[in-house]
Amino acid sequence: MKVRLSLFLAASSVVLAALPAFTARLPRYGGTLVMDVGATVNSIDPSVAQANSDDGDTKEQIDGLLYAQKNADGTFAGAGPFRIQSFTPDRKALLVADGQFEGGRPFLDAIQIEMGRSLQDRLIDLQLGKADLAEIPADQARQAAERGIRVSRSRPDELIALVFNSKRSRANDPRIRKAIALSVDRDAIVNFILQKTGEPAGGLLPQWSSGTAFLFSTAADPVQAKQLWSQLAAPPTITVGYDANDSLTRSIAERIEVNAQGTGISMTAQSLPNAAALSVDARVMRLRMPSPVPQVALARFIDALNPLAGLTVSGTALGDPADPQQVYNTESTIIGTYSVVPIAWLPRVFGLSDRVRDWSTPGPGDDWPLANVWLDNIDVQSKKGTS
Amino acid sequence: MTFRAKLFWLFTVALVLTIALIAAGVTVVARKAFDDSNSQHTEALVAQFQREFERRGEDVAQRVQAIANTDSTIRMAIDLARPSPDMSIYVDAAQGVARSHHLDILDFVGNDGSIISSAAYAARFGYKLPWIKSLTAGKTVGWVAQGPFLMKIDTQNGPVVALLAISAVRVGDKNLYIVGGERLGREFLGSLVLPPGMRALLYLNLTDKFAPANLVDQSGAIAEASRFEPFIENERKSPVERKFTMNWTSNPAKAEVFSELPLSGRNNELLGILLVGSSQREVVILQRRIQALAAGAVILGVIIALFLSWWGAARVTKPIRRLAEGARAVSGGNWDVRVNVLGGGEIGQLATAFNQMTQQLTEQRERLLQAERVAAWREVARRLAHELKNPLFPLQTTVENLRRTKEQNPSQFDEVFRESTGILLSEIENLKTIVRRFSDFAKMPQPELGAVNVNDVVRSVVKLFEAQFGAAGRPAITPELHLEENLPSIQADQTLLHRAVENLVLNAMDAMPAGGVLMLRTSHQNGHVDLEVSDTGTGLTPEERDRLFTPYYTTKRHGTGLGLAIVQSVVSDHGGRISVESESGVGTSVHVELPNRPPENPRPFADVESKSNGAETKPPADTKDAAKGSSNGR
Repeated sequence: MKVRLSLFLAASSVVLAALPAFTARLPRYGGTLVMDVGATVNSIDPSVAQANSDDGDTKEQIDGLLYAQKNADGTFAGAGPFRIQSFTPDRKALLVADGQFEGGRPFLDAIQIEMGRSLQDRLIDLQLGKADLAEIPADQARQAAERGIRVSRSRPDELIALVFNSKRSRANDPRIRKAIALSVDRDAIVNFILQKTGEPAGGLLPQWSSGTAFLFSTAADPVQAKQLWSQLAAPPTITVGYDANDSLTRSIAERIEVNAQGTGISMTAQSLPNAAALSVDARVMRLRMPSPVPQVALARFIDALNPLAGLTVSGTALGDPADPQQVYNTESTIIGTYSVVPIAWLPRVFGLSDRVRDWSTPGPGDDWPLANVWLDNIDVQSKKGTS
Repeated sequence: MTFRAKLFWLFTVALVLTIALIAAGVTVVARKAFDDSNSQHTEALVAQFQREFERRGEDVAQRVQAIANTDSTIRMAIDLARPSPDMSIYVDAAQGVARSHHLDILDFVGNDGSIISSAAYAARFGYKLPWIKSLTAGKTVGWVAQGPFLMKIDTQNGPVVALLAISAVRVGDKNLYIVGGERLGREFLGSLVLPPGMRALLYLNLTDKFAPANLVDQSGAIAEASRFEPFIENERKSPVERKFTMNWTSNPAKAEVFSELPLSGRNNELLGILLVGSSQREVVILQRRIQALAAGAVILGVIIALFLSWWGAARVTKPIRRLAEGARAVSGGNWDVRVNVLGGGEIGQLATAFNQMTQQLTEQRERLLQAERVAAWREVARRLAHELKNPLFPLQTTVENLRRTKEQNPSQFDEVFRESTGILLSEIENLKTIVRRFSDFAKMPQPELGAVNVNDVVRSVVKLFEAQFGAAGRPAITPELHLEENLPSIQADQTLLHRAVENLVLNAMDAMPAGGVLMLRTSHQNGHVDLEVSDTGTGLTPEERDRLFTPYYTTKRHGTGLGLAIVQSVVSDHGGRISVESESGVGTSVHVELPNRPPENPRPFADVESKSNGAETKPPADTKDAAKGSSNGR
């Protein structure tokens, strides 16, 4: 009996001791999640709103959060499990949980969106506990982690590629494109510029999506690049453009320039004032995977690249569902023209405060999973948030 | 040009030259002073640049060393020393450090020379700096000890010239090199304190050929940089300190004088050229002012010089002019002139001597005239006595013969009386002739002018003497007439002219007692008619020639000495001149020059010249006065 009692007490003690840990993992209602975003939105009316963002994806997510169906009384109620309670154009928005949401009330009481926060502000806010959630550029993920910020990475779903301008005669010679493609040291770009957050890209689809990415070489071959370049009778100077507001593409473009010059290729990198500028021979572009489905993603990529690269293949040629071989062949055809030179794959990176629970970084085409997020240690309110 | 004019111009030129020389001298001195000043400013600026260069170098070295001493750099060096180090985390480290330490250039370089992080060329990570490969173990100290140096390095925006310093952090057996520096450019020039009118330019030798964009001043790229190309290229070929002048426009005030200072790197390669420009505006303005002042001074000086020269020349030449006027008066026969010159200088002494001379001349002339009058009267008396004595002696002997015949031989008295009265009448006639000739000379009439052809006069006289030329009992004289045809008529008194020619022919005939050739020649030129009467007689001695026109002087036994005096008087009354050429044993030529129209106030006595063997002599000026006695012709 004593033994049983002792065992019971011991078991009870263990259960009691483990109970707080167990209960801590259980979702809780309440709390306000403070989210820092770089983008700004001046209206909740999608028809008149003008958004400004250094970070396009964050803007899209804000759109998804804020823009809502118009109510009968003309007000905008917001979409999903949260309703807009207050909105300060370009500054702040407060969304409160919708208890009548058909999917059930979210755990969070409210989401406070702070707009127009710079990267440094976001990192500082995360470090100081002023923010619970903020998107971080992939190349800053390592630095953020070293600063003690909890980082959440998605699978690589953003392609950075060098896309040649088919309307420029200097880029029409495939030897030029190939020489430049072979001169690019992708490993150095991933290791140094992306700070190892990402992976070299050889194809237009990531390995996790197509399963055939490993078939495309990512290695540089400066010797062959030099040889190809030397075959040109009158080697031109290739201009590579990048978005003036995008420091990452700038760094990558400058590195491509250095790699090219290192193999004797004459190249200059220059910023472009807007995304539509086509006054360069090639430009470094970001391509976000719109879907995890290979043929869908490839078709959207082709559609996105065609205006600049003038690809000979069409996204609509891919069936739905497409044969993996057909996807690979199409991808291989495009890569073989060297009109598009994949450089690297980037994941999406989010910084989280310690109290954020059940956060999963959204994949291609996914919404932010804020309905499932709950906050641990609600008593420790964000210093910026409202109670 | 008169002496006064010469003096005037001499003074003027001397004064103008003096002023011009002074102005030029002032200009040159001012120019040199400005050049010296500019040179000093340039040297000061170059020295300032060099000091600033050294100071900046030391500053850069200190900042690089400070970076090397920071914890983050040491941590980087420690990471570098690890096996298989991951230095990617430091790829952006240089930019922040460079900003915080105000460096344009900052590279963290690994032990093998690979760039870990670069502030100026961020994308160049992983590449090796070729020049830093020489940084092997043991040489680091040498690099550091070398201090700052200039170097051409590549950046994202192209090559630049930078003032670099290197430091190193050694962990284990590996070095982490910190290469930091400041870009050499307009910001560097901006730290120089430039005096007014000066500017500093910097050419960065970054390309194989001259590139205008590489030439900057404190405000950036300069205008018309391409005009520096020949000077920059020259400096690139031979990098030494030199000067050149940049004439921006034709206006010299816009010009600049530049001093070039080559800036070399570690291996003496030319990396840049400092150009210190000095505007010539102030110099040219000053020069123009000086020139304007000089021009004004010259103009004023010329005016003053003209006045002073005029005044000085007048003052200096006034006594000389008076002396010249006095001399002219003396030469004109007025010996009573006196020159009034004040002062005791050379001119005063000369005037005093002149006055003494004219006084002495006047006195001597008076004495001479007195003596000549006495001599003339004596000569007249002697001539009268001689002329009258010859007829008186036969008169006396005839009267005594009549008396003696009456007393001693009365029977022959009538016959003797008849003969004696004949002799007496003859001699009395001689006496009357003598008296008439003297009377004629004394009563030379005034010429009555009319148109006279000299050829006609000559022919008339020759015709008059034709019978005597070939008269029996005497050697023949051959007349030769060389009369110019179309000889113009002259205004003259034909009777007097006939009488003068007649006397000349008579004299010539008398000069040829043994016969000969009498040549008469007429011609005309320059408004006068020339008559030449030549003989081939015995000629004249110099003494005879000197006294030829003296009245009552004759070399003939029965001459009165009035013939040539009458000729001279006639020629003088017609405003002509007469000259004689004679050579003893050869003959004599008399040249008479008669103007076409005699002057209204003919000279008191004809100009007379007598020549012998080409020499010319003038008879005494008062020949006419002396001829007022009586004598026969030559």
